[in-house]
Amino acid sequence: MFRIIRETHINFIGVRKYAFVLSAALIIVGISAFVMVVIGKANLGIDFAGGVMVTGHFDQPVTIEDLRSAVTVEFPDAEITNLKDFEKPNAFIVKTKRPETEAEGKQRLETLEKIIEGSFGGNTFTVVSEHIIGPAVGQTLRSDAQKAVLLSLFGIIVYIWIRFDFRSGIAATIATLHDVLAVLGIFYLLDMEFDLLLVTALLTLAGYSLTDTVVVFDRIRENLKKFRTKGEFANAVNSSINEVLSRTINTSLTTLLVVGTLFFFGGEVLRYFALALIIGVLVGTYSSIFVASPIVVEWEARKPKRFK
Amino acid sequence: MPKHNWRIIMTAILIILACVAFWNTFKLWTMSKGDKEALNDRDPGALLHLQQKAIRLGLDLQGGIHVVLRVKMEELDKASREDAVERAIQIIRNRVDGLGVAEPVIQKQGNDRIIVDLPGYTDAARAEELIGQTALLEFKLLETYDNASLVLTKIDSVIHDYELARKDTTAEGAPDTAVIAQETEPAIDSTAEGEDTDILAELMGDSAVDTADMFAFDEDIGLDENINPLTSRLQLAMSNNRTGTNWPSFAIPKKDRELITKWLNLPQVQSLIPIDVQFCWSTRSEIRNGREVYMLYLVKRKVQFLGKFLENIALGQGTYGGFVVNFSLSGDGAARFAQLTGANIDKPLAIVIDNKVESAPFINSKIRRRGQITMGSSAGVKDARNLEIVLKAGALPAPVEIIEKNVVGATLGIDSIKKGFFSFMVGLSLVLLLVGIYYRLSGVIADIGLLFNLFFLLAVMAALGATLTMPGIAGIILTIGISVDSNILIFERIREELRTGKTVRASIDAGYTRAFVAIFDSHVTTLVTAGALFLLGSGPIKGFAVTLFWGVTISLYTAYVITKQIFDIRKGYRTLSI
Repeated sequence: MFRIIRETHINFIGVRKYAFVLSAALIIVGISAFVMVVIGKANLGIDFAGGVMVTGHFDQPVTIEDLRSAVTVEFPDAEITNLKDFEKPNAFIVKTKRPETEAEGKQRLETLEKIIEGSFGGNTFTVVSEHIIGPAVGQTLRSDAQKAVLLSLFGIIVYIWIRFDFRSGIAATIATLHDVLAVLGIFYLLDMEFDLLLVTALLTLAGYSLTDTVVVFDRIRENLKKFRTKGEFANAVNSSINEVLSRTINTSLTTLLVVGTLFFFGGEVLRYFALALIIGVLVGTYSSIFVASPIVVEWEARKPKRFK
Repeated sequence: MPKHNWRIIMTAILIILACVAFWNTFKLWTMSKGDKEALNDRDPGALLHLQQKAIRLGLDLQGGIHVVLRVKMEELDKASREDAVERAIQIIRNRVDGLGVAEPVIQKQGNDRIIVDLPGYTDAARAEELIGQTALLEFKLLETYDNASLVLTKIDSVIHDYELARKDTTAEGAPDTAVIAQETEPAIDSTAEGEDTDILAELMGDSAVDTADMFAFDEDIGLDENINPLTSRLQLAMSNNRTGTNWPSFAIPKKDRELITKWLNLPQVQSLIPIDVQFCWSTRSEIRNGREVYMLYLVKRKVQFLGKFLENIALGQGTYGGFVVNFSLSGDGAARFAQLTGANIDKPLAIVIDNKVESAPFINSKIRRRGQITMGSSAGVKDARNLEIVLKAGALPAPVEIIEKNVVGATLGIDSIKKGFFSFMVGLSLVLLLVGIYYRLSGVIADIGLLFNLFFLLAVMAALGATLTMPGIAGIILTIGISVDSNILIFERIREELRTGKTVRASIDAGYTRAFVAIFDSHVTTLVTAGALFLLGSGPIKGFAVTLFWGVTISLYTAYVITKQIFDIRKGYRTLSI
């Protein structure tokens, strides 16, 4: 038998105070980030803010600085990315956000392409993709994303409350929100773009982190049948976490492997999506051990229910 | 073990179904670019057909155009807002049909928006022109049947030569041109209705047509041998049974449409078509004798009348049952229309929208201020409604503006496919290796389950006609990571059971039974989020939701049932490689 994790007796519950402090910090950052997104102050992607994006490549080398100085005269907010792993060399993505009207979006795209094509003499710029999102569509996508988030969180909470008791349901919900907020907060601190793909990643990791929590809770439920004496509750929880620890780590590893692959080889579009999932898997694993179960333990310590 | 027989049978059935579902996709994906070109050259319809039956690739993978339009309601008066979106959709569908796009999507979104997806089509300027332009509704007369026959005979011999010349390069069997049975077609009848309502025509499906000899189908003749390659594919479809005259309107099986379009566009064929006439297809296909056919008309180019003079277009019930479309004529147009209809009684008048024929009813009588088009007795409310919408679209165009546009070049698509495929292979190999090394032989069994999962996933996508996008590939890759979780749960449980001193057999059984609850719960939570994403997400996000949803669902079977079945093949276990 090849085992990375031997039988463990780590006292996870014992360090819960430190974990709570860390988690509180993550949640506070996350909530501020969420507020910033809602009031529109965060770095929204063109799908939410509306905007124009051109992808293309030059025949001859062009530095990102030269391209930036050419474009920013007309569009001071332009964002330029060098597509390093694209099929063709010298490929760039140029974005400008928040056009006032639909017509302005179209106008901007034309001007932008003219500037890029005209600024480098005989160096031809071939457009491979162009994307215009008007303000109205951005509005729709924002509200769609909100609905998707609410609907899936609601669905998850309902399922958890049906399958487990009230306390576990609350604990699992807090742990899941904690993970989503943590990733949101970290992305905000890193000044990453909030777009539809990030929302997708957040929902996916909500499902993933819940899975982790559910596996631990399933084991706790099973083990509680064995512990029949009062005061043993924390022990039962702790040994449950230890028993499923190798599963938790192995699954996190396989998921990290595939998500890491996406991060390194999936290309520019999926890179931040993958990054969100990588952070999410790490946070999700942490929260199922250090957040969800300790909440149940604290609750039981204050208001004993199971071993009266 | 007889009690496990059902699982073996079920798995076998699933594998067969999956092979069937995946077959077309497999054929398409393993074709080289040259093969595709050769096939398209031989039979333009066949490649399109294959693409429709295979897993579709999203715009981000094959390139294409995605446009969201808004109908400018503020420019329309209240009465014409009502079905403005439907009118615009009808016009766009009419124009997109025939572009050669395998799976165009044209659908209403919200109250005033229209989504148009043209996968594989990357001519953005042309697409915008097609989509954004105002509809042009014209009325034209048909060429006489005799003149049409002369032209068609000449074209036949040119195409025959053309196909003969191609014989060296392509040796292709005969496309089956089965006979469309004699079809009853538009005839005419005249009934007075109301004091000042003149009846334009009745399209009744109850008169027989004598098919001229030249339009007899020849079956099973190769393209190069058939001396009437064009006319043998045409079925005369219009005859006025009052006057006994035939008119050049022909039914053509849907699968021959691409081929005939190609022939008609050949320069040597174009030069044979007189300058004052043109071939026009019908706006949509119809079912005749159980076959889907398009109509091909030979119309005179001269514009007789413009749709903008039509007013008060409304669907109604005819006096003798069936549906009618009523209309009246504005002051400027009335005199001209009266003159036109008066001079051409008993002749068909083609209603041409954007160079396609919506319908060609016979003129029954001179129409002054109010007219009526009577649908044939076989026509349903849908046909009548289509005609109404087209007439309205020509009379009252719905102005649109583009509010979102995404053009993805084919290069970007190919780049994404390469990256997606590479990531998939790397991710898969790493997980297969890790699981195989960590859980040894049992890990290999889990790996087999995982491979089945991926195969079934592709098969389900093909069967559902789902679209694969770049985020969709990410969903598949994520499925690889998540779906082995079931086996990890089971194997860790088996290890625990073994440590308590149980026999191997008992440990395996207990491991599977006890892990089930956790596996089930964890699957449901993932499915809930995937479901929410599917319901509300658009385009690429939907692609992600679809692959994640099915990947996770299928893994419940492959990781739980199939792997257990493999464990059960061996009866007496003394040791277990885990």
